[in-house]
Amino acid sequence: MTGLAGAAGAPTRVDLPQSGPPRVSLTLISDVAAIEPGSTIWVGLRQRIAPGWHTYWTNPGDSGEPLSIEWSLPAGLTAGPIIWPRPERLAVGPFVSYGYTSEVVLLTQIMAPPSLPVGTPVTLRGQASWLVCEKICIPEEAPVELTLPVAAGTPVAAPTAPAIEQARRAVPTPSPWTTTLRTSPEAVTISVAARGLAADRIEEAWFLPMRWGVIDHAAPQALTIDRHGLILRTAPGLLSPGAEGHVDGVLLIRERLDQGPVTQAFVVRAGLDGPGGTSLSGGSPTLPTALGLALLGGLILNLMPCVLPVLSIKAIALVDHGQASPRATRRHGYAYTAGVLISFAVLAGTLIALRAGGAEIGWGFQLQSPLVVTALAYVLFALALSLSGILVIGARLVGVGQGLASKSGYAGSFFTGALATVAATPCTAPFMGVAVGFALTQSPLVALIVFEALALGLALPFLALSLVPAWRRFLPRPGPWMERLRQVLAIPLYASVAWLVWVVSRQSGPEGAALVVAGLLLIGLAAWLHHGNLARRRRAVTALALGCIAAAIALSPLVAASASSTAAAAPRGVRWEPFTPERLAELRARGTPVFINATAAWCITCLVNERVALHSPAVAEAFAKKGVVYLKADWTSKSPKIAALLESFGRSGVPLYVVYGNGAAGEPRVLPQILSERTLIEAVESF
Amino acid sequence: MRDTLSRRQFLTRTGTVVLVGSAVSTVGPLPSWGAAAAKVGEAAPAFTATSTTGAPVSLGSYKGKIVVLEWTNHECPYVRKHYETGNMQTLQKDVTGQGVVWLTLISSAKGEQGYVSATQADELTATRKASPTAVLLDEKGVVGHLYGATNTPHMYIIDKAGTLVYAGAIDDRPTTRKADVQGANNYVRVALEAVAAGQPVKTSVTRAYGCTVKYS
Repeated sequence: MTGLAGAAGAPTRVDLPQSGPPRVSLTLISDVAAIEPGSTIWVGLRQRIAPGWHTYWTNPGDSGEPLSIEWSLPAGLTAGPIIWPRPERLAVGPFVSYGYTSEVVLLTQIMAPPSLPVGTPVTLRGQASWLVCEKICIPEEAPVELTLPVAAGTPVAAPTAPAIEQARRAVPTPSPWTTTLRTSPEAVTISVAARGLAADRIEEAWFLPMRWGVIDHAAPQALTIDRHGLILRTAPGLLSPGAEGHVDGVLLIRERLDQGPVTQAFVVRAGLDGPGGTSLSGGSPTLPTALGLALLGGLILNLMPCVLPVLSIKAIALVDHGQASPRATRRHGYAYTAGVLISFAVLAGTLIALRAGGAEIGWGFQLQSPLVVTALAYVLFALALSLSGILVIGARLVGVGQGLASKSGYAGSFFTGALATVAATPCTAPFMGVAVGFALTQSPLVALIVFEALALGLALPFLALSLVPAWRRFLPRPGPWMERLRQVLAIPLYASVAWLVWVVSRQSGPEGAALVVAGLLLIGLAAWLHHGNLARRRRAVTALALGCIAAAIALSPLVAASASSTAAAAPRGVRWEPFTPERLAELRARGTPVFINATAAWCITCLVNERVALHSPAVAEAFAKKGVVYLKADWTSKSPKIAALLESFGRSGVPLYVVYGNGAAGEPRVLPQILSERTLIEAVESF
Repeated sequence: MRDTLSRRQFLTRTGTVVLVGSAVSTVGPLPSWGAAAAKVGEAAPAFTATSTTGAPVSLGSYKGKIVVLEWTNHECPYVRKHYETGNMQTLQKDVTGQGVVWLTLISSAKGEQGYVSATQADELTATRKASPTAVLLDEKGVVGHLYGATNTPHMYIIDKAGTLVYAGAIDDRPTTRKADVQGANNYVRVALEAVAAGQPVKTSVTRAYGCTVKYS
């Protein structure tokens, strides 16, 4: 056949597998110079690839074949799967392959048993085969071997450790963003919910699926960046995504930094949206459906533990005053409905306005403020006390008692509606989510209509009871059971309070939770004082009760304050404090070693550095050992102080990493923009 | 706070879905190389190409017969695996014996790997003891592009009604190791058996493996 190709005058570069020098030289390297029994070490298959040629990633793309290896390891040693560093997207003619050029280190972990005898070296052997292509392809194979001494104690790094480290740094890191994939016969759309990315920093982005068939590898991928994140649109492949409900892949993002562009890779598991992920109509309901779901969701809200007690008080009131004129009853129904509708409109209006302003919030956003959660806890607790019979404020607020028949009671009914709305916000009824999700993507008017449908659903049961006298006959006759029911209904309210305290503890830590509980105690004390004072009405006692309430209210801003301090100290990896020039000067004056991390939420490289290097336990340990103070300069909302810091190092953007060594005279050292665990530890240990 | 967070995540996700949906509906299909290709389950695109005898061969003339299309490049290691083990020839002999039409296509452009003249192609057929119905020369890659052939070997099956029922690899061992031929699941053989029995092809689309087709 060779002769035949020659006879046809084929170019001499046509090589057959058996001929020519190898295009790839393969060596087995390790990160340690010796292996410790019971340890796991990293080894790498280093491929040095001839210029113009390439080898393949686990999904080779339109053609090609990834490297495979058969290990023959000494007894007891086991090898993990190949860990693939991020590939390049290689255009070959009209095709696109995913692979590597020049040099790549494919990683594998080798596990050594604790029983491995110290002193006898072990030899790791394997037979690797791979395909190397230029325009034409050549299958190559080679044996690899590496002999390592077995030694007890933490082994020293091998000379090849930096190459392994570099390869580990190039392994895609888990994506912090929710990713969804939608396919239609015309297009595949990959949406990455990476909010706040700066469009001008991102040069390009590509989605590389782990498996063939989901997308057309050779098709362009149109990139859009908006405030919701990043969207890639491309052509579908020949297979529809599998039944797993997700598509695994790697997201490559090329970010522009001060010192030139840098590619970061993330592992993404893109969830398919819609049933089976292939239907366009599956994902989003139509307006009538959304309205129906909202109404249903509103109705179900009535049964939620925080709402049911409020509603029941109204229902009991109806029973109690069955003899009230139908007209008055109807008016109460209207007043209550108006209360619900108007407070929903206020809440929804605020939400829509905030979202229009770019805030990434959803329904229940109120609960993200510890202040609001605290207030809700107070109100529900007071309500629960009232139901338990300890506190008699309910007369007006919830319309229990004679208020119903009187004119002033209408205001009470209105406020019950408002209260029901406020109490309902922590509870998301089934069906609500879809409707609200739909509403938030529509025009403000449509959104408001959907929210009002929800409100109507919430108001409907009571409205119906008040409008149709016949239905009230189904209500039981008044009697002592009402008092008992009232007391029983306090229980879900106490439960709601307990839940809210937990929410605060998540937001503001144990200190915040303690403050709220103290506030609740003060309210309980006030209720008891008030209760005992009903008959005698002594001013001093009233003043004391009011004082308790004022103190409880005064505590709530402290809850919010404790929230911010908790968030700042949230320990993930190394502990840090916010950067200020004053703090830096103070630390330098004392000669304390300092590490400065100038970062921003929209900086992808910063994020990756933090995940792969800064947050590692080894770095935390090194920092602790040297007493390094970690200052974080958050440049997300650009502050002049941080701008000055960046400028002092000749930078205009983030990331910037600086270390100051021991002693006040120590010169600062700027670390590379691509951090690795090793760089950091070495920088710190060099002090 | 976990409850609130997960709800928020859910909402934003739902929101993104709706947004993306509207974006997709406003944008037409993207230009794509693969999208122009023949689709399994649809009518196989008609073509006419010149065979090594110089006679034009058109797909339409085989109406009522099962047709196999095989993209090849005799210098490609993956093609060699299947020819040097006799795997491809055996399949050709078996199925053409049952009345199946086997068309071998060469889409390598002049000067590229696998390009052959008509005479050389016939020599290859003879020396390799292959038994295709015809070998078609597609040096301009017209048929290759029509079918979206990306690899050699790349296999297609068209049923008696003219519907494309299989596109993809020859088997499930995407390697150049000759030993892998033994014990591999030959997708083409399985699909042809199903088509002959009048049954639907279970595995109708697979990743074709091999060398890229050397288009100009």
